[in-house]
Order: sequence, then C-alpha cells, then structure tokens
Amino acid sequence: MVGPVHYLVLAAILFALGAAGVVLRRNAIIVLMSIELMLNAVNLTFLTFSRFPLLPAATDNLGARMMQGHAAVFFVIAVAAAEAAVGLAIVIAAFRSRRSVNVDDFDSLRN
Amino acid sequence: MLEVNWLHLIPLLPLAGAAFCGLVGRWVPKSWVSAVALSAVLLSFLVGVTAFREIAGGEGSPLQIHELVYSWFSVGRLSVDLGLTLDRLSGTLVLVITGVGFLIHLYSVGYMDEDPGYWRYFAYLNLFVAAMLLLVLGDNLVAMFVGWEGVGLCSYLLIGFWFEDDAKSYAGRKAFVVNRIGDFGFLIGVFVLFQATGTVSFASLSGVALPLATASAAAALLFVGATGKSAQLPLYVWLPDAMAGPTPVSALIHAATMVTAGVYMVARLSFLYVQAPGVLALIAVVGTLTALWAALIATSQQDIKKVLAYSTVSQLGYMFLGVGTGAFFAGTEHLLTHAFFKACLFLGSGAVIHGLHGEQDMRRMGGLKRHMPHTARTFLIATIAITGTLPLSGFFSKDEILGQALRTSAFSFLSLTPGSSITLTFLGPLLWAVGTFTALLTSFYMWRCYYLTFEGEYRGPADVHPHESPWTMTLPLWVLAFLSIVALVIVLPPELAHKLHLESITWKHFTEGLFRAARGGPAREFAYFPEIAAYATALAVALVGWRVAVRYFNAGPQGAARAQAFAARFPRLRRALENKLYVDEIYERIFVRPLWAFARWLWRIVDAWIIDGLLVNGTGKAVATAGAWARKFQNGNVQRYAAVTAVGIALLVFVLLTRG
Repeated sequence: MVGPVHYLVLAAILFALGAAGVVLRRNAIIVLMSIELMLNAVNLTFLTFSRFPLLPAATDNLGARMMQGHAAVFFVIAVAAAEAAVGLAIVIAAFRSRRSVNVDDFDSLRN
Repeated sequence: MLEVNWLHLIPLLPLAGAAFCGLVGRWVPKSWVSAVALSAVLLSFLVGVTAFREIAGGEGSPLQIHELVYSWFSVGRLSVDLGLTLDRLSGTLVLVITGVGFLIHLYSVGYMDEDPGYWRYFAYLNLFVAAMLLLVLGDNLVAMFVGWEGVGLCSYLLIGFWFEDDAKSYAGRKAFVVNRIGDFGFLIGVFVLFQATGTVSFASLSGVALPLATASAAAALLFVGATGKSAQLPLYVWLPDAMAGPTPVSALIHAATMVTAGVYMVARLSFLYVQAPGVLALIAVVGTLTALWAALIATSQQDIKKVLAYSTVSQLGYMFLGVGTGAFFAGTEHLLTHAFFKACLFLGSGAVIHGLHGEQDMRRMGGLKRHMPHTARTFLIATIAITGTLPLSGFFSKDEILGQALRTSAFSFLSLTPGSSITLTFLGPLLWAVGTFTALLTSFYMWRCYYLTFEGEYRGPADVHPHESPWTMTLPLWVLAFLSIVALVIVLPPELAHKLHLESITWKHFTEGLFRAARGGPAREFAYFPEIAAYATALAVALVGWRVAVRYFNAGPQGAARAQAFAARFPRLRRALENKLYVDEIYERIFVRPLWAFARWLWRIVDAWIIDGLLVNGTGKAVATAGAWARKFQNGNVQRYAAVTAVGIALLVFVLLTRG
C-alpha cells in the first residue's frame, strides 16, 4: 500500500538532490535547473497533503478539499516559470559579459 | 524705598560707550572715541548725582532707590531679577567710580595719546566702569557676581593690554587665574546661601537668621572670593604683577575701585558676617597680616609702581581689618579716602613714567620736583594723606580703623559651632599694635618713594629730559589731591564733627543703620588707653616713619651711604624683601609646578593616551577589526551563501520542531 510517507520521502530525496545541485554544481544553468527540482519537490509535498490531509476536513466537498493544495501548486508553477525566465536572462547577460556560465566566476561582490 | 525706572542708565551709559568704542572705534577719529568714552562716564556720573540727591536729602528722603530692570531667569526654586539698588553705600561708591573714573579717562586721553590701541583701551575702560557699577548696584548676589566677573575680565584685558610683550600678557593671565581661585569660593558661597535660604537677593537674605555653621561657611567662602579680588593673603600675588598694565588702569582698577570690591562685598553682606563672628575675626587677622606683609615688601622695592602696588595691598588689608572688627563704616570710609589719594599717587607715578619716557626704577629718578612741579606737589599731598599725618583724610580713616580694632567687642563672642564660645579680648589690641607698626612702615616707604622720586639730584641718563605732562593729566591730579584733602570732612571723628557742626555729613552718621552691629556689641571705651592717646600714637608713628625716611633718603649722598650701611647689616633680610619674600617662588614650587606636572599628566596620559588613543581611536579600531573579520563571509560565492542559508534554515526548523 502506498501511503503519504512514500510520497514525502520521495519529495525529500528530490529536494535534497536539488539543494545539493544548487550548492555543488558550477554551471549556472544546472543550478537553475536544480532550483526547479527543489520547487517541484515542494509541489509534490503540497499534493501529498492535499491527497492525505492531516486535519479533519472543514468541508465535506471532496473537490473543494483537494483544490487547496492544487491551487498552491499552480502558484508555484507560475512563479517557477517566471523565475526560470528571469534566471535564464540573467545567465545570458552574465555570459555576455564574462564569457562563462561558471558561478565561481561571478564573485565581483566579494568582500 | 523709591521705585524708579532710570537707575539702569548708570551702568548702561558706559556699556554703550564701550560698545561704540569697541565696535566702530577703530575706524573713527581718535577724538570721537575719547568724546564718547568720556561723555558716557560723565553722564553716568550726573545720573549718579541725581540719584544720590534723592537719598541723601534731609528727613523723609527714601533710604534707597530701586529699579527692577527685568526678571532675568527663573529655574525651579531659583528666580533671579536684574534689579539695581542705590542706597547710601552703593550711591557713594557710584559717585566715586564714575567721578574718579571720569578723571582717569581724562588723564588717559593724554597718557595713551600715542598708543595704536587707543580705541581698544577706551572700550575696555568703559566696559570696566559698566561692570563695576553693576557690581555695586546689583540687588542680588548673582547680579553682583556678573559685575564681579566683568571687572575681573576687564582687569585681565587691561593688564595684558600690551600683549605683544610676553611678560605683560603673562601678568594678565596670572591675575585672571588667581582671581578664578577666589571667584570659585565666591560662587560656592552663593550656592551655600541659596541652598540654605532659597533666595539670592540681599533684601530677602538680610531678613533670614541662618544657622551658625551655614552662616560661617557662606561667609568664609565669600571671603575667599574677596581675598582674590581684593588681593589679600594668600591670593595677593597678582596685584603687584598687574602693574604691567597702563598706569591709569592701575589707578582706576588696581587701586581705587575693583580691588575694593571685596571690602564692599563684606560691608554689603554685613548682615551675614555678623552672624559668623569667627569669620569676622579671620577677616581681621588676614587683613592685618596682609597689611604688615605687603608693607614690609614695599619698603625694599625699587620700581615706583611696585611700591604703590604693595601699598595698595597693605591699605586693603587695613580695610579688611576695619570690616573684620565689625566696624563696617570704618572699613568703607578708608575705602573712599584711599580711592582718592591712591588714584592720585598712581596717576602721579604715571606722569613721572610718562615724563621719563617709560622709566619706572626709582634709582634712576630723583630731583623731579624741579621738572614736574604739579606732579610733585600733588604726589606730596597724597603721600601725606596715605601716611596718616594730620590733618589729611588718611589720618582719620586709618586711625578710625585702628581705634576700632583697639576697642572692638567683636572678638569677645567668637564661635564657629553652636554652644562653644571663645573670648579673644586680647586679639583687638594685638591687631591694633600690628596695624600701628604697619602704619610706621607705610609712612617710611611712602616718604622713601617721594624722596627718591622728587627730591635730591636727578640720577637718570642724561639724554632723558623730564618734562611736565599736558593739562589733561595734571588736572585730574589736582582734583584728586584736592579730594584727598576735603574727604577729611566725611571721616572726622564724631566729637570733632559735632563741634564743627559737620556731624550730618560724616560717613559714620551718614551710613547709620546701613550696617549690622557685630554680635559682641559696638566698640567700647578702652579705659586704659584714652582716644587722645590713640591719636597721638598714630601721629607719632607717621612722624617717626617720616623722620627715618628723611634720614636715609633725603640727606644727600650721606643719607644714601647711611642707607647702604644699614641695609648691609641685614643682607639676607634685605635680599628677601627685594625678592618679595620669595612668595612667587614658593607658590611656583608648591602650586604652579605640581599643577603644570598634573596638567601635563592629564594631557599626555589621560587626554592623548586614554581619551584619544583608547576611547576615540580604540573604538574606531575595534569596529575596523570586527569588520575585517566579518568581511571574510562576504566572499561573493553565491553557492556558499546558499549553503549557509540552507544549513541555517535546517537548524531553525529543527529547533522549532524539537522544541515542539
């Protein structure tokens, strides 16, 4: 039987992979992708609790109950899309000035 | 009491004159400066005369006139009005200040004629007159203190008037610093009185009976101020050095008016001093010792102005002896006569210095009577007056003080703490004896000064041709000499005045009821020593002093040889007296050098090291070091930031979850 714990463990693994990618990878585009991975891990968590609520429902309407988590997920997807657009634009602008997408090269705010 | 609205004109006119001379005097002709300065003081004198006529009239005239100029400030319990009171004491002093002040302004027109700082000089002099008038007229301790500090400031400015000369500007600084010591005491005394009574006005204070300890503390502290301003032991050292200023300044500030402020203050606060009999005795003792001490030094000075300076210190000592024995009228009447003859002496010495192109050493004078007859004659009159020889004013005023000291009852009821009572009946006669001996010295050194300067042969360099001064300088001399003579009518002893029907204008009668009586009661008849014997003694010592001076200093080369031989018998005493008894050197060792060392310690250690180094620069360095350390985290590596943020949030979540 697949329960909420399985989903949450999967989400945690995805989140950890994403975080590791953000911190460890040097390629800016991979870092952006890793951020997307983390966002989707969060989405998965939302959906999990949407499907397996912790508290007794405030309403009997199953559709209305499930829509709360789904709405949050849609927001996250929209924000992620905007963020990806801005992030990629920044990476392109940075690449134009530095001829590189290595995040280690972008340290002019040092000290 | 009469309320008027024009009393403020008396100090305001010289103040306006000072403002004119100081602000625009530089750019206007010299004649304008002197015209404004002189007319300001003269107008002030005329207003003073008008006011004086109000109170000095016969029966039914008010005892004092008062003006409330404005409410100055009010803070908590303390509220101070700028009020002016003119009674018989302050009114007389107003006349002396503006009258003698005018004569000295007139004299200065001739004396300072060549000086480039002409406008500055008259600005200071007018400002001084304004401050002195405020000191005298102020109806409360705070207003008096403003005048007190104002005259101190003008004194400093005028002593250091020729500030290009280091020694003169140092003398000004010395006067200021020594006066600050006294003023500190004065200020604390004012605080003590305010703390005890909640008021600073003379009118309210005079009605309050203070506990003995409070009265003694306040009286003693205020007297500390008086020892500074009026040059008494141990703070007299600034006055001889103050002779660095222009001579008319020495006459006005350092002889006639400012230095008597302490005597005036004690007399004005007689209601306080009679409540502190121990302090009164202290004042009498300090005054007598000062008189003797300064007279001893004066006998061996060679600088004509230094002789007069020590003589002033000595005469001020007499005044304090007078007020200290509870005879406030005697002290103040000597103040008045002294103002005339000492101003005359100083102006005479100024004329001599002027005529000899700056020479002050009496060893290079002599025989000046032929060249400056007016100066010599007026100097002679003033000398007779100060030596206390019949029949000039100085005889009666000095003798009144000595007579009061001999017969005083002020010392038969001494106590500093309640319950204890000490009787020092021997103190009065003792002070009288010392004072009488001092009178002998006074007579000796003043005649010595006169003979060395005006008699004998001229001993100065041949290329200096002594000449008489212009009329603006000789006229004040004659007026002051005349006043030194006629002032005797106000100081006549009561019996004599009664016979001559002059009793109503004698100072003692005039100031009746103005001063409180000392606790021991009024002076009593001294059975073993009738008054006539006291007069005879006083006259005898004056004549003995004169004969001694004649023997040594008016007997040609023979006399000079005798003086040399006499001095050679006491070489060490002679040297000590010539060196002013080494007081300056002793003060230098005990106070000045340790203070310098302390100041240097404060500068090098406390200021440069602790404040500048440790506190100011230390704060900066600490911030810079902390910044340098914190900067290491800002390495610009976005991934490091992300890692730290992630770890931080993880920890935060962990803590929040586990703390439940």
